[in-house]
Amino acid sequence: MIDLSVNLGKNLVLSNPVMTASGTFGYGDELADILDINRFGGIVTKSLSMEPRQGNPAPRIIETPSGMINSIGLANIGLEAFLREKKQFLSHLKCKVIVNIAAKTEDEFCEVIRQLDHEEWIAGYEINVSCPNVKEGGIAFGTDPNTLKHLTKNIRDITDQYLIFKLTPNVTDIVRMAKIVEDNGADAVSLINTVYGSAINIDTRRPEINSVIGGLSGPAIKPIALANIIKVYGSINIPIIGIGGIVNGEDVVEFLLAGASAVQIGTVNFMNPFALNEILEFLPKYLNGHHFDAIGQITGVLEK
Amino acid sequence: MKYLTTGFVVENLNIACGIFKAVITVPEIAHSCSPGQFVNIYFPGSARIFPRPFSIAGVDGDQICLIYKVIGTQTMEMSHWKPDESIKILGPLGNSFPLPKSDEKVILLAGGVGAAPLMFLRDEMVKKGIKPDFLLGAQTKSELPFQSDKMSNLVIATDDGSMGIQGFVTKTLFKALAKRGEATTIYACGPDSMMKALKNKVISDKVTVYVSLEKTMACGLGLCQGCIVTNTAGKSHKPYSLVCKDGPVFNINDVGFND
Repeated sequence: MIDLSVNLGKNLVLSNPVMTASGTFGYGDELADILDINRFGGIVTKSLSMEPRQGNPAPRIIETPSGMINSIGLANIGLEAFLREKKQFLSHLKCKVIVNIAAKTEDEFCEVIRQLDHEEWIAGYEINVSCPNVKEGGIAFGTDPNTLKHLTKNIRDITDQYLIFKLTPNVTDIVRMAKIVEDNGADAVSLINTVYGSAINIDTRRPEINSVIGGLSGPAIKPIALANIIKVYGSINIPIIGIGGIVNGEDVVEFLLAGASAVQIGTVNFMNPFALNEILEFLPKYLNGHHFDAIGQITGVLEK
Repeated sequence: MKYLTTGFVVENLNIACGIFKAVITVPEIAHSCSPGQFVNIYFPGSARIFPRPFSIAGVDGDQICLIYKVIGTQTMEMSHWKPDESIKILGPLGNSFPLPKSDEKVILLAGGVGAAPLMFLRDEMVKKGIKPDFLLGAQTKSELPFQSDKMSNLVIATDDGSMGIQGFVTKTLFKALAKRGEATTIYACGPDSMMKALKNKVISDKVTVYVSLEKTMACGLGLCQGCIVTNTAGKSHKPYSLVCKDGPVFNINDVGFND
């Protein structure tokens, strides 16, 4: 029997390494008709802020070669509606529920966490310090070492909950950022968030998305994600959750070999809502064929 | 209930210049869809990653019909579909057209392949004993998805006058409305310019307009929040509506066309 479960430390055990990526899966309820959500190791909810956020004006998305650029702007229903409307569904899931939090200020991050901290159905927080599409907060938290250090430390001070920091590739040295969050109490890092990208309509001479520059995701960024994971693995001792362009089981294995302990699948949920099922079929076959009996055995075993 | 399933192509016919009609056997969707709803078609490969949304143009038993225009690589791929070919399909998605009040006059207004959802609506109306007026416009005769129709009072308009009335089909509509005083429900689907013309010119307490909108979508399910349209409904605090989930059918008073 192949063991697909992964232990991310601090009592966070997933039944398999595949989670959803924030912002690509809503709050899980939209897909309940067509997919058994409990088959995921965990789901990461759409970024949550204290107050509802309207998000950015149109156009918000554009398809690009092997990918897409988005500029949604963290549109979400806000903490109060989240607890009122989504808790019932989410708290009854068997898979782990990670709440992604995005805030404009350090105080807002802390306030959201304070209000969620007694919710026992939440398995952890993913702190979004890497959104490229908002004017305040977002990526600004994840690109300045001192800001990131301060934020990590202050969040760690107020909660014992499992803390994942979602990092951006849009920095000179992602290893430095990963070390900063580890040194200040993060339990894991997830990487990568979207890569800066743009697209222009040559007839109208206008950008294809509202914010001119948005976030590129999808298969196009997979090699970038792998490179970043390889760089970070070996420099830190906390688990890496790999994200970026995964579309199938082979991709998941690549991410694990590169050093990830678990992965998140995002854009593929749009391309192929059944991707999870295909991945979960592939993984045991791969492990069996390569004489491993637990998925944890392949993390970071990249032969160099 | 939505179904992500495999459909099988029954036929795929080139019915007008660049316009195709595909009939697909997909019982789960055929049995549960309503006029106005759409399906996502998924394509193999990862060069272009979005599924493509298509309005359901009709239902017959276990089969649905799609009317589509070849405009890019994905629709080009569809045009090569052969009978018995299997396709990955998700649906039914989105909301549907509200039916008119029984004493109202009904006008279906279509621009080109915008006729697709209205053909399904027409079929349902005929079942209820309503024979609607169908105003169908296209740039030219060869781009009309159909040229005759027994189930409606068909009026054709072409931009170049190659068939029917010369000029935009909206012009024909405005003339028809000006003559009438009776309560009318208009169902419209077509290019943005047609929707804008409708929004700006049809201002009357007696006329209700429902439009079916199209936007670039990534998921079709409300997950990505990409396909927004400005929400102008007075009561709501929501600045945007999602075309995939809140629509694609909207009362024209509830949407803005400035973006």
